[in-house]
Amino acid sequence: MSKSNQPESPPAAPEQAVYVCEDEPDLAMAIESELAGRYRVVLSETGKEAMAAASAGRALLLVMDRGLKGADGLQLVEELRGKGDRTPVLMISGMSGVNDRIAGLRAGGDDYLVKPFAMAEFSARVDALARRLSDTPRTVLIAGSLSMELIARKVRRDGREIDLLPREFKLLEYFMRRPGLLVTRKMLLNDVWNYRFQVESKFVDAHIRNLRHKLDAPGEKRLIVNLRGEGFRLDAQG
Amino acid sequence: MRRVELFRSTPLRLAFAFALAMILLTGGVFSFVYVATTRAWIAQLQHVFVDEAEKAAASDEDRLRGALSLRLTRDFRRLNYVALYDSSGALVFGNFDHRPDIPVDGQARVVDDFRAAAGAEPEPTLLVARARPNGGVIVLGRSLDEVATLRRILARALSFAILPLAAAALAIGLFFSRRTASRIREIHRAIEAIMQGDLRARLPPSGIEELDGVIGSVNLMLDEIERLLGQLAAVGGNIAHDLRAPIVNVRATLEQALAATPKGDSLRAPVQSALRQIDRALTTIAALLRISSIENEHRHSAFCRIDLAALCAELQEFFLPLAQARGIAMTLAAETSVWRQGDADLMREAIANLVDNALKFTPRGGAVRIEAYERDGRGVIEVSDNGRGVPVAEVQDIFRRFARARDGADQPGVGIGLSIAGTIARLHRMELSVADNGPGARFILREQAPKGR
Repeated sequence: MSKSNQPESPPAAPEQAVYVCEDEPDLAMAIESELAGRYRVVLSETGKEAMAAASAGRALLLVMDRGLKGADGLQLVEELRGKGDRTPVLMISGMSGVNDRIAGLRAGGDDYLVKPFAMAEFSARVDALARRLSDTPRTVLIAGSLSMELIARKVRRDGREIDLLPREFKLLEYFMRRPGLLVTRKMLLNDVWNYRFQVESKFVDAHIRNLRHKLDAPGEKRLIVNLRGEGFRLDAQG
Repeated sequence: MRRVELFRSTPLRLAFAFALAMILLTGGVFSFVYVATTRAWIAQLQHVFVDEAEKAAASDEDRLRGALSLRLTRDFRRLNYVALYDSSGALVFGNFDHRPDIPVDGQARVVDDFRAAAGAEPEPTLLVARARPNGGVIVLGRSLDEVATLRRILARALSFAILPLAAAALAIGLFFSRRTASRIREIHRAIEAIMQGDLRARLPPSGIEELDGVIGSVNLMLDEIERLLGQLAAVGGNIAHDLRAPIVNVRATLEQALAATPKGDSLRAPVQSALRQIDRALTTIAALLRISSIENEHRHSAFCRIDLAALCAELQEFFLPLAQARGIAMTLAAETSVWRQGDADLMREAIANLVDNALKFTPRGGAVRIEAYERDGRGVIEVSDNGRGVPVAEVQDIFRRFARARDGADQPGVGIGLSIAGTIARLHRMELSVADNGPGARFILREQAPKGR
């Protein structure tokens, strides 16, 4: 269903695969079919194959359930990080407590998604992690006609300076670090506002509307587009 | 209020009775000492006097006179009055003129109002009259003014003792009465806390043995109630948990099916509708799980210093764009920091739920106001609107899990949000209440009075 947010460039070397450590067969299959169009997917019920693949550099990304049959996902990730392995890990878990989330991230998870989740949400996070978007140390972000100076905190579209409030700047920065990728409302809530609770989508939408209003002068093409029912995407070609 | 309570209290009345009893008892003891001492003393004197009169009566006239005058001058303390009458009854020798009216039988008697001379003050006197062999009569007398002196001394001692004694008895009574009253107040406070839903609270020991037995039983009963309620809550949580997994899987299946269905297919609409319904169910399940996890985790360990005013400002910023888009004025009054121990994520969630709720009930052109302040040392967060308000009858109802204002049925999830806010409030020792804002409603998160007040 997420063909629309398929990354423009192939994100990974073809021999690398997404290893999904999930012991619930239904969920594992749903994940496999979701990602199959874009990645090579290997299911690893106990996490063993995934650990071996990560050590051998064959894993593009690990999707790790915290509670596996006969194994603790948290412990596996800790082990992996202990060996100095930096393979991105997306933790998924039924445990939604803030402490659980912190434990997951502290163990070395790069992102933490609480079950139940929408597939689009899951997909967007996998794409972001597969591209290792968060750990690029840059001072200037460029996406199409948009440029953002992170230190001077200046944003320009085709040379025209755009005045943004601090939160709007943060919001746009999040998009510019993920050009062309699906950004869900939940990602924005979690990562831009640090909110761990559910709010209705209209509140985030209102912020996006305000941001668009500043980015798009009359007659200009819309840079942040809606992906119906899924979220938003910054149009990198814009 | 409290003074009246104190005087009404049984312990204080007991203290008064105790003080009175102490006074009476002390008076009694003093009286007993007085009576017993004087009686023993007079009896002894009588014995000596009878003896003395016998000897005197037997002596011859001249020796007796010499001896008596010597006694009167040298031994004044033991013999005050002497009178010697001859056989015709005329006074021969002596220092009083009026013969007392007592039988001449050699027995010592106490005359309460003896006057030595006509103008003298009457005083209690021990007198003995005895016939002499020559037909005359000898009368010996001894003033008992020591008895009066003793009585005066005892009365003065008593009057000096009685005031401090009464004061001490009252003070002791007051101390115990206050102590008992404060213990009872503590117990009362604990019961109030339990009534307000803090089932982990227990009654404090009173220090009164009989009462402690009752308190112990009540606490055991509370343990049992808490255990049972915990089981009930766990049942709800477990059901929600068990329902979630299959529903999530159904959702994933439907999503896949939808993705595989070409655009324009007649199956797309019903599948999309089913997905929406499933999402509603999942929202409810997530809220149920959320509430039970907040209730059960007791996450005081994650508490740190948070500024309630800053949280309000942050949430106002978050909700402002939508409020503006809807033509609702959203104002903030949180100039002064209100630092408290708490969980920032949970507090944000609680405030967000209140603001979300206020926005739902406020029409275009209305206003929502977020306030954070400190009053009487208690942190307060208020979210008020001028929307349609909350009918009085529904005020209590609204805090019940998942209840919602009846005419808000078109607004999904109002009750869920308030339930979550209420649960978070309790965890932070805060109370969530609602008041009329005329028009509109005012939701108030207020810290409970500090313990031990």
